[in-house]
Amino acid sequence: MTSLYSILAWYGLFMIATVLAQVFAARAQVGDMTLMGTREDMPKLTGLAGRLDRAQANNTVAMALFAPAVLMLANAPPASALLTAQVFLAARIGYVVAYAAGISVLRTLIWLVGFAATGWLYWQSI
Amino acid sequence: MSAELSALTLACLLQIVQFILLAIPANLEAGPKRTLSPRDENILQYVSPPTRRLHRALINHVESLVLFGSAVVLVHLTGSASTITAWAAWTYLAARVLYVPAYAFGWVPWRSVIWSVGFVSIAVLLVVPLWTVGITLP
Repeated sequence: MTSLYSILAWYGLFMIATVLAQVFAARAQVGDMTLMGTREDMPKLTGLAGRLDRAQANNTVAMALFAPAVLMLANAPPASALLTAQVFLAARIGYVVAYAAGISVLRTLIWLVGFAATGWLYWQSI
Repeated sequence: MSAELSALTLACLLQIVQFILLAIPANLEAGPKRTLSPRDENILQYVSPPTRRLHRALINHVESLVLFGSAVVLVHLTGSASTITAWAAWTYLAARVLYVPAYAFGWVPWRSVIWSVGFVSIAVLLVVPLWTVGITLP
């Protein structure tokens, strides 16, 4: 399988893992009954659960941009595509870890690396 | 069109349907003046609880669809479609369709169970390409 595809698959699985981490953190904070309820008056998630929630939302946006670029390039990837995608994946993992750990500034720089990698992939697609 | 792509197409149409299901009561309750405005304030405070639930259901679906769409196209382009992926894709669609009334009518804890079914289906669709075509580390 073209490695670009496998990186996309791994990022998808990483997103799944992040969702699970967020679910468990939220369960610990507000309890199962709140989460499984109608969430009408759901309290705002704080701490680790809140950070993972925001990281997860960011993951979704990153995937929405990353996937089309990969799928456009995967048939005939330019030489730099694989490394760029690997940098993206590493940045996304670093991003979620930094967010979870509450590390500021560096988190944003890591995000920027992933974002730049995505932009570079699109640039290669033109 | 393959089973997986058909399921994806219908899942995308489901987003459109869910949006319409939300937009009608939201506009009736909050009024078009608010919905058409720049929404500097949170207009959800002006709609009824059932409509707010429809909104949460829509957001959840969109977030899920990003992952499902990527997974289906991945399955398609890697040629790893199989009975398993077809089942996973249709199961996902069924779960997302049921998720809407589950949220709207407050089926607790069934909404969460239904959500989990959709979630696991996505995981299957991501693992199958890696497994059948050869697991390559990123």
